[in-house]
Amino acid sequence: MMVKETRGGKWTSDLVLDLYSNLLSEVWDVVSALIGEAILELLFTLSVRKIGEKYPFLNTLNVSEAGISMDRMKQEYRVLSPLEIHRGFQSLLNHLLTLFSALAEGVISREVFPKVFPKVREAERLISQK
Amino acid sequence: MRLIVKNLNILRSILNTINTSFEMKELVESAGNNLPSLFEFSAFGLFWKEESTLYLYQEESCPLSFTQEVAKNMLRVLNILGEGAEELDRVTLQIEKKKLRPSHMAMDPKATLKSYLTLPLAVEEEIMGCVSLNSDQPNAYDAQDLQFFSVIGYQMAATLKHYQRFSSIKTMAIYDTLTGLYNRRYLEERLMAETQKAFYGGASLSLVMVDIDHFKKVNDTFGHTTGDLVLKEIASLLKNSTRKKDTVARYGGEEFVLILPEAGLEVTVAIAERIRRQIEQTPFEVGQTQLNLTVSLGISSFPSHHAHSKEDLIQMADQALYDAKRGGRNRVCVYNPPQR
Repeated sequence: MMVKETRGGKWTSDLVLDLYSNLLSEVWDVVSALIGEAILELLFTLSVRKIGEKYPFLNTLNVSEAGISMDRMKQEYRVLSPLEIHRGFQSLLNHLLTLFSALAEGVISREVFPKVFPKVREAERLISQK
Repeated sequence: MRLIVKNLNILRSILNTINTSFEMKELVESAGNNLPSLFEFSAFGLFWKEESTLYLYQEESCPLSFTQEVAKNMLRVLNILGEGAEELDRVTLQIEKKKLRPSHMAMDPKATLKSYLTLPLAVEEEIMGCVSLNSDQPNAYDAQDLQFFSVIGYQMAATLKHYQRFSSIKTMAIYDTLTGLYNRRYLEERLMAETQKAFYGGASLSLVMVDIDHFKKVNDTFGHTTGDLVLKEIASLLKNSTRKKDTVARYGGEEFVLILPEAGLEVTVAIAERIRRQIEQTPFEVGQTQLNLTVSLGISSFPSHHAHSKEDLIQMADQALYDAKRGGRNRVCVYNPPQR
């Protein structure tokens, strides 16, 4: 898929990156309140390392106890196909949700699902826009 | 509000007991004793990777099948976190059973794991193990339980990190860094304990002093790196040729000392002779060439040699070693008291 420009002049890739940036921040806020920043940082780092093998752009995510920063990613990968970005983040989120379920069954997922699904749907809508 | 304050006070007290624990078992027990005030659980587990040990604090009536299910689940979680598949049969289980619920609410012998919370114990991205709350009741845990449990897990991880650091300091203090054998300092301590046990308890105790023959030549000809490799190989050979209860230490340079508790002269001579033969028959690979080495060994033994202190035993073994060297090396000599 080619990179498309929207009416406002912003690249679709930028929009998808912004969308996932907001989503990851929300996930961070919800889950860090439940399990603490240190463990969450570990889970994010492990997930980025694993999924980054297939989607190398994810390796530019900066994870620390302070949260997640996508500044480098936004600079370096704005020309990447929005679909590729969407798929990468989808895999990352799936992996994180698998880890959350493994640790605490539904306790974390129950809090996170309502945040994730609307955003993922919005990303799909952005990508499919002609 | 009152409940939250009460829970926070309990949490504070749990964190305090974790902080002041000096041993893993104590840590698990003191946490376990306090956790029932905060959570409903059938088993609380702490798995420490370094020792491959799973400490479980569980309800008295907990059936074995439930214990195994908990253990398997904790290892499964670690596996999902990418920490390698630790096999259950290689894990040491340390189980502490406590009465956590009244008798009429004892666990069903067929109870299965219905809910759990498992958190990795991690410091600076290193996963040291995991900690887990487990219940035979469905939906036993909610978001607030997870919040409290994560604070406890975080404190436990920090405490484990202290244990790890302390244990590496302890390791440095008692082991010889090159050979991995005990060092001289530990040898003196051990010998003091063993001589007291033997002198007052009447058990026999022997000492073997081992010296590599012409070791200086190895260093001069092949260099110190090769010399170090030879020392390591001989150290491992000594370790493998002795019994579990024996202490093998590097005394200094190319000299080693073996403490053999409850070993009379006959047994000690047999062990020393076996070591001598084994080293004589072992070709040491040095680059392209093979090196044949021999050792000399001196033995002293209580009560045979009427030693009165650990210093006596060392001095007697040293004298016997001197006799072995003077007698042509590659031999075992037993202390021979001076003739009057």
